[in-house]
Amino acid sequence: MKIQNLAVIFVIIMLPISLILTSYVQNQVQTIELQISYDFKLTNATYDALKAFQLNTINSGTSDLSNSKIRDIEASVNTFFSSIAENFNMAGYNKETLQDYVPALVYTMYDGYYIYTPFTNTISDEDAGATYQNGEKLYGLKPYVHYSCRYVKGSTNVVITYSLDNCITVEGIVNGKAVYKTGYLIEPDNIIGSGDNISYRHVPITANENLQENVGFYDNTTQTQATIGNYNYEKIDGVKYYHEGDHWFSMLNNEKQTYPTTTQYSDTSNDAIEYYTNAREFTDWVRDNLGDLTTSDAVDENNNSLADVYGQNISIFGNDQGSADAIEDPNSLFNQHRLSVIRYSIEKNLSIAIANYNRYASSTSANFQMPNLSETDWEKILNNVSVISFMQGLSIGGKIYNGYSIVTNTKTEEVVNTDSIYIITSDGNYHRATDQDLIGNNNITGAFSNIDFERKSVTNGSSTTYYYPHTELGCYTSIVNQTGASVPDNIYEYMEDLGNTALTRAYFTALGRERFSMYRTNPITTEWN
Amino acid sequence: MGDTVITIIAIVLAAVLMFVFPLMTMSDRTDDVSQLSVETATTEFVDDVRTTGRLSIDKYNSFVQEISATGNSYDVEMQAQILDENPGKKTTQAESTKIGENVYYTMYTSQIMDTIDPQGGTPKTLALKEGDFFSTSVRNTNSTLSQQLKNFFYKVTGNDTYSIAAEHAGIVTANGAGN
Repeated sequence: MKIQNLAVIFVIIMLPISLILTSYVQNQVQTIELQISYDFKLTNATYDALKAFQLNTINSGTSDLSNSKIRDIEASVNTFFSSIAENFNMAGYNKETLQDYVPALVYTMYDGYYIYTPFTNTISDEDAGATYQNGEKLYGLKPYVHYSCRYVKGSTNVVITYSLDNCITVEGIVNGKAVYKTGYLIEPDNIIGSGDNISYRHVPITANENLQENVGFYDNTTQTQATIGNYNYEKIDGVKYYHEGDHWFSMLNNEKQTYPTTTQYSDTSNDAIEYYTNAREFTDWVRDNLGDLTTSDAVDENNNSLADVYGQNISIFGNDQGSADAIEDPNSLFNQHRLSVIRYSIEKNLSIAIANYNRYASSTSANFQMPNLSETDWEKILNNVSVISFMQGLSIGGKIYNGYSIVTNTKTEEVVNTDSIYIITSDGNYHRATDQDLIGNNNITGAFSNIDFERKSVTNGSSTTYYYPHTELGCYTSIVNQTGASVPDNIYEYMEDLGNTALTRAYFTALGRERFSMYRTNPITTEWN
Repeated sequence: MGDTVITIIAIVLAAVLMFVFPLMTMSDRTDDVSQLSVETATTEFVDDVRTTGRLSIDKYNSFVQEISATGNSYDVEMQAQILDENPGKKTTQAESTKIGENVYYTMYTSQIMDTIDPQGGTPKTLALKEGDFFSTSVRNTNSTLSQQLKNFFYKVTGNDTYSIAAEHAGIVTANGAGN
């Protein structure tokens, strides 16, 4: 055979191979590119949903009440779907079409979470009407699930609800007595003193603080610019009461509620003192009554032990907290158990919701499965109020898209985190508590929750005025640009090491005050005999 | 005589067809695959930074390592646009999103690297806040085999002769300083 023929045969073989390979690789490139762009769009839509939730809750006076919160979440869900429609160039498609690809949306809150997913409505036949039928498929928020775990030991049979901070609720029978108690867990040895002279980690807590902030309101519907004034206030259960002349008022959904002069609140706040005193009392009670509870006592709804989930015989509330000195430290045994309870609860309910979705999805034949969330993702979920979205079943060339996105919310009234406290200095700036400039600074004039530095709006229907409760400017080394702020693993120890300074006094006082005065669903502390 | 010339031409042609052509196609595909993994790595890196609000030298190093695994050297350019809400806050009827009343100031690669460079062994983090922008672009700096072969046949000149490039950017959704 001539060498020329060989070349021709070679070309005949190589050309198709190279052509097919080219188109295959091109296809893969397109699939990956599509997947990347879908991930990006999903994150953006989730961020939009979170932003909507954030704006609605910051500007609403009742956002912490559960029915109002559900309304805010539903508004946020709508935002998510319209954002998805816009982003995916499917404008015009309605929520119902897109819902087929979104098996679940999760809103994690302070002491539990909501899952937005389809469910089969069950109502008794006589209650069925024009709006809802028995057995009908509905999309909506499933009932609130608490981060809770049940423990059975001897005559103790309790459900303990955990939260994003060190607050717990104990419900059930403790040593034969029915109990319903809520409180913060703080190492009692760290709190010294009585009455108004309380110190935490050797830092005295300020008693009888005078609190002031700006508030805007309209006196009538024809006013174009709201009156903005600076008033003394007292915050009780998440509501701020302002002192004006001889009477007090509060803001409820843009309306000024004036109270008769017989209703008087206090110009000074002792919430921080109350917080530490109550926490010491509560932690002592928990230690006395539940101190011997271990992870082996945890059971599920069918009384099966959960020891293989939470570990064997690890003390939860005891004096010995492993490598941590105090129960409130992030690495304490209590906190590790708290995080695993939250994680197990979300993982279990979410995988059920997504697996069940196969029965509801009509327009897609994809097999819905919960994706594996990475450790960094869990870290975000376990420490913050967040939105988790899932999107599956869209065809992206070579495969079926299966993605999720997590966006955390750091500006919320839901929870007062250890980094939610901003410090005001007399030069008119506010700082993060860990700003290096604050060390040794004696010009600290106050400390408040970070949402009090967010812009608020007030409207009378025809015009809207924006104002800031605190008009200080963000510091350039810790707020605008965060290079000057350190990120300690344990902020309690970081503050303790700084000793008794203006910064630590302001920080611990504000943390106690903001936590004590926030709205909570179970404020009752009762013990029946 | 004529036969010898034809044979030589045939051998040259055969060599080109049998070696250079497949080599070019294969090196082109290699670049495609590199392009793919660089693009994926860049997106993951940027998305990680923008959803956690944090950039550390560890994250940066593992990203650089991941893209270097394609066998090429890259030029990584990062850019962080920091939102400054303070100018908008100074007016009475503040509108924090109004364009012009708020400014973004930009940190480029060298400033970002200075911030996260661990001096004295302590790891440092660049913390971004909600509302900032973060973007990264990657370009290959060496000439890949496919580029070399192409240059052999037709010369591509100039500084920006890269064949693998990826870019990704987005708004930061979390506050990095904190827990």
